Amino acid sequence: MAASVRHLLKPWTPSLCLMRWSRYNPYYLDPDPSKDARVPESELSPEEKELQELKTVSPIKAALSSDTSSAFNDPLISKFINMMMHDGNKILARGIMTQTLETIKRKQVEKYHKSPAAKREEIECNPYTVFHQALENCKPIIGLASVQKGGKSYQVPVPLTDNRRRFLAMKWLITECRDNKHRRTHMYEKLSQELLAAFTNEGNVVKRKHDLHKMAEANRAYAHYRWW
Amino acid sequence: MFITGAVYIRHYRKAMSGSVIQEKVAKLLSRQSGKPVLRPIKPLALKNEVASRKLKKGEATCVTEMSLLMACWKQNDFNNTVCSKEVSVFYTCVEKAQNKAKAKQGTQGRLLPKEANTLLKRFPNQSSEI
Repeated sequence: MAASVRHLLKPWTPSLCLMRWSRYNPYYLDPDPSKDARVPESELSPEEKELQELKTVSPIKAALSSDTSSAFNDPLISKFINMMMHDGNKILARGIMTQTLETIKRKQVEKYHKSPAAKREEIECNPYTVFHQALENCKPIIGLASVQKGGKSYQVPVPLTDNRRRFLAMKWLITECRDNKHRRTHMYEKLSQELLAAFTNEGNVVKRKHDLHKMAEANRAYAHYRWW
Repeated sequence: MFITGAVYIRHYRKAMSGSVIQEKVAKLLSRQSGKPVLRPIKPLALKNEVASRKLKKGEATCVTEMSLLMACWKQNDFNNTVCSKEVSVFYTCVEKAQNKAKAKQGTQGRLLPKEANTLLKRFPNQSSEI
């Protein structure tokens, strides 16, 4: 009896702490953390001017704690880190990513110094461009969707959205590195090998993408089963 | 007070419409002239909900571009750099189709059943006078 009464006398504190939701009204704009990207008014086209005006008026979603205004903030790499993250261990995932980029840079610089002067210009040393290009090479163009028609389900070739393609590329990279490599190698080592292979359109991930394309091409007769 | 013709008619209709409907309904339910026309199970009142519409089945979009792309792939052993033109054409077609589908959803003058239901939930029909 006393305990229940004491519960009523305690000051009220919210038992939930406020986090950034993922459900916002569609008119909420995404936050833009880059502070140096402000272009002077004269250089903007009329559509961009409209966008800027919209930003001053409409509400904006709360920024994530991983969004920084630094020059090193890359949304693609942040997304990849989040996908690699396990049990919320962001520190470990970020550490692996930085080590991966460092390893890529080391390998490329070594290659650069070992190659003759004629071939040196072709070697890409910037790990960020290597990552972006490798991811582009891993993205599938057409996917397969399961469509039921007449009691039987068919694999129908279907165009994919940009988000879906990016997700598939990242997922394939991560699962490939986790499952199909030697267990004694570190994740950053496996990732760097796979990324460098994907950069030159070789390796298992690009092979998987090609397999998907081949399946889609084999099932091209069922393309009309789509209704969207 | 001078009322214009159209406004006068609207005024007249608005004042008359409620009671006219009630009289007609009473006539249909009455047992005075033989069996009643209506024998309602549920009360004759509007629900605060709209029935959802059947989704119209469209057709597959961008099939021609897809087939061109696949033909290019077959010729060049799935090399995307060689087929880059077909790929970009396919992407533009897909984007156009997506924009068209989005634009088509909300227009044609009527509210979507989902939107109507949200509005009705917030502003329901008055079943009794306050």
